[in-house]
Amino acid sequence: MRAEKRLAPLLSLLLPGLGQIVQGQQSRGLGLLATVAVLGGLVLWQKAPLLFVPLAALWLWGVWDAIQSARNRSSGTVAPFLLAAFIVYALGIRATEIHPERLVSGWPSIRPIVQALVRPELMEYPKESHIGHLPFQVPCITPLPPPQGQASEQPRLTTDVPCAALGETVTLEGEGFLPGLDVEIWWQNPIGDYQRVLEEGVPLVVPADDEGRFRITIRVPPTSVPLDRRPGPGETQTHRIEARQYRPYGSLQPTETLRLVIEKIGETIALAFIATVLATIFALPVSFLAARNLMGGHPVGRAVYYIVRTILNIVRSIETLMWAIIFAVWVGLGPFDGMLALLLHSIAALGKLYSEAIEGIDPGPVEAVRATGANWTQTVVYAVLPQFMPSFLAFTLYRWDINLRMSTVIGLVSNTGLGFLIIQWIRLSRYNAMATAIIAIVLVVALLDYVSAALRERIIAGSPGGPKRGILRRYGVPAVATVLFLTLFIWSWGVAEVDLPALVEGAPAGLRITRAFLFPDLLTRPTVESRVTAPLVVPCGAAPALTAPPAEGPRVALSLSCGAPGDPLVITGEGLPANTDVSVRWRLPDGSFLRIKKNCCRTDGAGNLRLETQVHPLMEAKEGTAGEVEISWKQVIGGYQPSEALVTTVNLSLVTLLMALLATTLGSIIAIPLSFLGASNVMGRGPVGRAVYFAARTVFNLWRSVEPMILAVICASWVGLGPFAGVLALALNNIPNLAKLFSEAIEEIDPGPVEAVTATGANSLQVLVYAILPQLVPRFLAYILYQWDINIRMSTVIGFVGGGGIGQQFRVWVGLNQYAAAGTATWAIVAMVWGMDYVSARARARLI
Amino acid sequence: MLEVQHLTKIFPNGTVALRDVSFTVAEGEFLAVIGLSGSGKSTLLRCINRLIEPTSGRVIWNGVDITAASPRELRRIRRHIGMIFQQFNLVRRSSVLTNVLSGRLGYVNPWMSLLHYFPSEDHQRAVAALERVGIADKIHSRADQLSGGQQQRVGIARALMQEPQLILADEPVASLDPVLAHSILQYLEQLNREAGITVICSLHFLDLVHRYATRVIGLKDGMLVFEGQPKELTRERFKEVYGEEAEMVTVGGGMERG
Ligand SMILES: Nc1ncnc2c1ncn2[C@@H]1O[C@H](COP(=O)(O)OP(=O)(O)O)[C@@H](O)[C@H]1O
Ligand SMILES: [Mg+2]
Repeated sequence: MRAEKRLAPLLSLLLPGLGQIVQGQQSRGLGLLATVAVLGGLVLWQKAPLLFVPLAALWLWGVWDAIQSARNRSSGTVAPFLLAAFIVYALGIRATEIHPERLVSGWPSIRPIVQALVRPELMEYPKESHIGHLPFQVPCITPLPPPQGQASEQPRLTTDVPCAALGETVTLEGEGFLPGLDVEIWWQNPIGDYQRVLEEGVPLVVPADDEGRFRITIRVPPTSVPLDRRPGPGETQTHRIEARQYRPYGSLQPTETLRLVIEKIGETIALAFIATVLATIFALPVSFLAARNLMGGHPVGRAVYYIVRTILNIVRSIETLMWAIIFAVWVGLGPFDGMLALLLHSIAALGKLYSEAIEGIDPGPVEAVRATGANWTQTVVYAVLPQFMPSFLAFTLYRWDINLRMSTVIGLVSNTGLGFLIIQWIRLSRYNAMATAIIAIVLVVALLDYVSAALRERIIAGSPGGPKRGILRRYGVPAVATVLFLTLFIWSWGVAEVDLPALVEGAPAGLRITRAFLFPDLLTRPTVESRVTAPLVVPCGAAPALTAPPAEGPRVALSLSCGAPGDPLVITGEGLPANTDVSVRWRLPDGSFLRIKKNCCRTDGAGNLRLETQVHPLMEAKEGTAGEVEISWKQVIGGYQPSEALVTTVNLSLVTLLMALLATTLGSIIAIPLSFLGASNVMGRGPVGRAVYFAARTVFNLWRSVEPMILAVICASWVGLGPFAGVLALALNNIPNLAKLFSEAIEEIDPGPVEAVTATGANSLQVLVYAILPQLVPRFLAYILYQWDINIRMSTVIGFVGGGGIGQQFRVWVGLNQYAAAGTATWAIVAMVWGMDYVSARARARLI
Repeated sequence: MLEVQHLTKIFPNGTVALRDVSFTVAEGEFLAVIGLSGSGKSTLLRCINRLIEPTSGRVIWNGVDITAASPRELRRIRRHIGMIFQQFNLVRRSSVLTNVLSGRLGYVNPWMSLLHYFPSEDHQRAVAALERVGIADKIHSRADQLSGGQQQRVGIARALMQEPQLILADEPVASLDPVLAHSILQYLEQLNREAGITVICSLHFLDLVHRYATRVIGLKDGMLVFEGQPKELTRERFKEVYGEEAEMVTVGGGMERG
């Protein structure tokens, strides 16, 4: 054995992978080293010392592997892979605060939401109400004063006792109610708040008998009066018992909710429409600049090409919803904000797609048309446009799809459209109303999917261009289409509240945020704050003068040591650090501070400062304490360090990546078994199989139409705000998406190898392992990677509605006007999205 | 000896693919099955190892009724019957070695095989089988990186792993060009002559039938319309099987009017 072979295990013990490297297995060694290093870093980051155990096992595996390869044996990669996966998932579960028990404990808070989903508020009868009420005193005192307020005469309520304590039972009788109709019992506390009277948690309902009477025992709601409003000893309060009947009359009408939802559907469509139209107009010229074949000829052109491409890529990797938050700073919340966000993201996306279509134009036909003697316009019309139009139409339609989906949820952050209704109604606990809006979104999206699939088919199978026969078809159809289009555009313009002046007025804020994004908060240097003070007694003699200023070093001198408000005062600073920004403040007698002058001050080259002002009226001494004049400044000590925003961003970026990973894993695990139900070759041709197949496919499609942002809203009320809600929402969104893709992969299994392996005498498990899994696994993995890629994008925005991760922090920073920190988060998101795009594209290329 | 007795196959959609087909194949024969596309050749071959369940009739092999075998017995029988396919039917993403080893699945411990574990004799066998068909150097390639002819040789190697007494070949050369067709059929001929393996092979070309087969049966619309020596298969008889319009194609590349 050569020396390095004998030494290899020892080297691997010292540094993972070293033993493999000296034996010539560079990539294996470096891979092991990188894995151990990254995992070690993550374990330290999460402060999870127990996970050093599997990490050590991984390290030891490296030693064992070095021994094995020294003996020219190979050890597989399953064990280290499992160990690494274990560590990653353990960290992920920790970092994303997964608490499965909250699924159960949070169930009561979403049960009403789930129940509401099957009972949306659609139509209702107008109702007439029939209410009886009775004052009731809580608690009993002697003597009992007369109650405040009157009882109703018709219908009439009586109780067996005139008073009771909280939580005691009372018998309530009613007469003169509408016979046979249910009566709801309500309780109004002395503050005026109403609540339903419950029995074992369920609202109490009692039917009135044929003579319009009822009798029932009720409990005075124990939580009726807040603790701080309860009566003192020997006092009582008047409550009110109400018995209500509602009788529907007239004809069925759409509910207020439904009317609002329909109005907001209009708003949603308008936003998507106008954003798509405008984006098309802006994206066309941009796409010329981003097309390599148009710009590649000249160095300047190439430079423009790269710059435009880079900007498009950056803008694209920031999600629409994030742009909505950014634009809200600029133009305020509202439809215009949402429209701008959709527009900007669409311009970037379409610009890229169009430019690729331009790059794909075949120069052959162009040459051929030009060779016939055609001029430039003719060449464009006959050779360029026919090649460009189909992809142009397809991409625009595709973008319209995305924009409509997006605009249903953009309101979650920009307070418009259906999204806003959802946010508002969930806050008001109006779950049935919220359900109406959610169902509307699902229907709009599902319908849209259907319509655009049909349209796309027609475009692909469309007739070749050229003049149409017949006057009507030649002029009539385009004229009607143009009028329709213009009407729609004008209407949408109004609905979207396009407000160009707001763009100008908000420009300073917009520029501030832009600057902060260009110069994100990355590094800081630690500083110490120093100060010098001088006492100022107002008026003279009102208080003893405090310490005298020092004679040496930095000091502040005043032209007066005491005076009256308004007296001129000269403040001089000496011995301060040279050319430094300092802050000069009144320290008021009550201890608070007040800036003496705005945008002030800076010391000169010798460290001196002079400021003329008048004594501020608030400096008047209080209770024998005088105020002071203070000069303070910050001095940098030490070198650059990562800023707090950067540390937080890195931290949350890791959490976000892990969120996406866990959601993808969870979604895949559940999607795999479901996908077999949606595969026609598995379900067979029998009636039951066909029924299950169609049911599964329908469920997948409807479920897919529930936007992840909406799932996040629901999950946040289920398991609480935070990354767990985000993981859950993403996983719930991934299940139908992956199940559908998996089903398609299963349907495309080649039966040939299955037949061949069966013919060798293999049993069905062997057939599964040798003929089916090798066909499925790579495709499944490719889809899972693709989904992970999408999840990383989505997990950056899912936090806006409580899903944790970097998005949640981004919104907080923007809300606190900490734009530089928000900029840091944004760049981290761009980096993550690019990194994952790159990794997943390469990995998928290897898999397929 | 293989006896096919009154074999009939009616598919669930009502297509009658085989009608009362009976013939026998003696040990060591090279039987060619000819017939137009859709005449039932594939169905016949698949009824023999019951990849397709016959509707009625019996298949008796060396005295054992395959058509009456339990699933377990059927797997025992199948492992002695190699099968070769027109589309090769390799698992495209798996390595050549895995594809070849899968020919041993009927022999090895089923549970170990699920972990992709095969005894080392099987590995040696796989190398030998690949050497025999001349592509031992491709053992670690992915199957879909091989050319059509190479893939079919992997298919033969897979069948060889079964140590078969009978090989069913369903148009093994229909997807290959003429030179490759000869080389593949030469392997089958070699197996047939040297190892005494019975071969039942469906073929399309008259010259291939003349060159390789020891006996021929012809199918037309699921019925047996010809049975005899290759030399008895004259142009006239060929036309009967293939219909008046048939063009008699030779693998040499030329075309003879039938
Ligand atoms: N699974 C099936 N279901 C219904 N009909 C089938 C099926 N497989 C084959 N057939 C029909 O059976 C007949 C014979 O087919 P096949 O055996 O494949 O012919 P060949 O191999 O000679 O081309 C054809 O008419 C074909 O359409
Ligand atoms: Mg066939």
